[in-house]
Amino acid sequence: MPVTTVLPDAAGAPPAASAPPHPGPRRRRTRAPLWLLSPAGLVLAVVTLAPIGFLIFTSFTDYNQRTLFTGKYTSVGADNYTELLADSAFWMSLVRTVLFTAAMVAGSVLIGMGVSHLLTRLGRGMRFTVTVVLIVAWAMPNVASSLVWNWLFQPGYGIVNWFLDQLRVFGDTTDLNWAQDPARAYVSIWLLIVWQAVPFIALTVNAAETQVPQEYKEAARLDGATELAVYRIVTLNHIRPTLLLVTILSVIWDYNVFNQIWLISRGGPGDATATLGVYTFKTAFVGFHLGQGAAISVVTTLLLLGLTAVYIRRLLRSGEDL
Amino acid sequence: MTPRRRWTVNTVAVLFCLVWIFPVYWMVNTAFKPRPEVMTATPVFVPEHPTLDNFVKAVTQQQFLTNLTNSVIVVACTVLASIVLGIFAAAALSRFRFRGRRTIMVVILAVQMLPATALLIPMFVMFNSLDLLGTYLALVLAYVATVLPFSIWVMRGFFVAIPAEIEEAAHIDGATTWGVLTRVLFPLVAPGVIATGIFSFIAAWNDYLFAYTFMQDQSRYTLPVWLASFTNPHTGTDFGGQMAASVLFSLPVIAFFLIIQRNLVAGMSAGAVKG
Repeated sequence: MPVTTVLPDAAGAPPAASAPPHPGPRRRRTRAPLWLLSPAGLVLAVVTLAPIGFLIFTSFTDYNQRTLFTGKYTSVGADNYTELLADSAFWMSLVRTVLFTAAMVAGSVLIGMGVSHLLTRLGRGMRFTVTVVLIVAWAMPNVASSLVWNWLFQPGYGIVNWFLDQLRVFGDTTDLNWAQDPARAYVSIWLLIVWQAVPFIALTVNAAETQVPQEYKEAARLDGATELAVYRIVTLNHIRPTLLLVTILSVIWDYNVFNQIWLISRGGPGDATATLGVYTFKTAFVGFHLGQGAAISVVTTLLLLGLTAVYIRRLLRSGEDL
Repeated sequence: MTPRRRWTVNTVAVLFCLVWIFPVYWMVNTAFKPRPEVMTATPVFVPEHPTLDNFVKAVTQQQFLTNLTNSVIVVACTVLASIVLGIFAAAALSRFRFRGRRTIMVVILAVQMLPATALLIPMFVMFNSLDLLGTYLALVLAYVATVLPFSIWVMRGFFVAIPAEIEEAAHIDGATTWGVLTRVLFPLVAPGVIATGIFSFIAAWNDYLFAYTFMQDQSRYTLPVWLASFTNPHTGTDFGGQMAASVLFSLPVIAFFLIIQRNLVAGMSAGAVKG
């Protein structure tokens, strides 16, 4: 399991790090793995591998709304791809996705690190309170929190506009329509994603941070290091692998964000907040250019593949018994 | 820590808690307000005339029960299928060494990280030609695709934690491979199976995209789609009702998060419950 080296699991089992390195996979000649794996293998082949194959196939056809009724389509070779590469809307949404992902990941990782460090400095009661708050915020299903966000940022009756109004620095903000202005739509979506992402990052990083040996910190303090230097030199070095892991995961998740953007701005105004996911969805299910949508999805997946490879390599390397 | 420093740290913590819990508080708070207190230019921070009307309205809505039933059926099938299929695969990947094991694990992890549209588009086209759009089966297949790889991965972790000696002892006592699995290993991973089941429940219960794309008819919706379509374009959104519905929809998930909180971090890292 990925992060069990720092966390005991719920089975009440000891942390995996203290488990024997090879907990007994047997080399006896047996067909057991074959029949144990085949049910799941068959199902996965049907529900994942077949669709992926079909996605690639579809991306070379002109599948569209008509095809859904008649079943007729023609193969168009690489046309979908050449069209895509010539389409500025695609490039715009790619750039948007990269920048937006960077902003969301940076925000959530930095705040998450801060909260993690905060947790280490709190007394029992306060730490418990912060943890409960984090878990509740984390638990909110993203459809529900997107709708709550719409309500918080509602023009006329939304509490965010009221609050900004009270600050008296932005003028009369009562009727600000957040979803209808590109910059504001981004800000509210960014706040939502960061709000949801911080709990996982804070708790994961904190799990690693509490494992940093106290002696190292004490030694650094004796040498006259400031608290900031202790954090930078000792703590940061110890939690680096965990930080890298949560950063890669955050990039993958934020790159794929769909629900929150769709429910808050539908990718609008215009295409201003249409990241790759939203752009693909609009192409495939609003314009019903399924072949074109498939091509975008293939490109999106390929771009993600590099990151996924890094993630998997790290997991396999950290896995004790793989 | 000096008292002054302690004071600063606690203040920061309190401020953080206030900011982070506020959206949740505002959802709950709005859910209990009568309409005049919801639609007001000056926010009402504590409901003056708390009421359950919003909850009653949400629950008595025509589609609520139908959509709740849809959600329960689809989620239950998904959880059951991914646990039954997953437990055997997890056992194979953790208790045996065989050729191709690493490859299988890499494929499982990679599938886990696919963007939703990579499955959404081809599944939509395939289900359309098989006439499966709008059926429970379509959704269950989509959810199994997203949940099964993860549940194999997480359960594998629980199997790995079981010491080899226990298994060896059972073999020496003459147990068959099947006997060792069902009488020794499965009971030992039972708590892990329950945690994995809850993770799968949350992932399927929260899905909006597949249900929204595949179901296409009010009576076929699951709760997340119901929740999002609560908005009435003619009379304006009934925020009191929508927030009450959001509370009802989120409650089981929040409860489960608190139950499995110790596994949360590990489970999330396996890519299950995305943010």
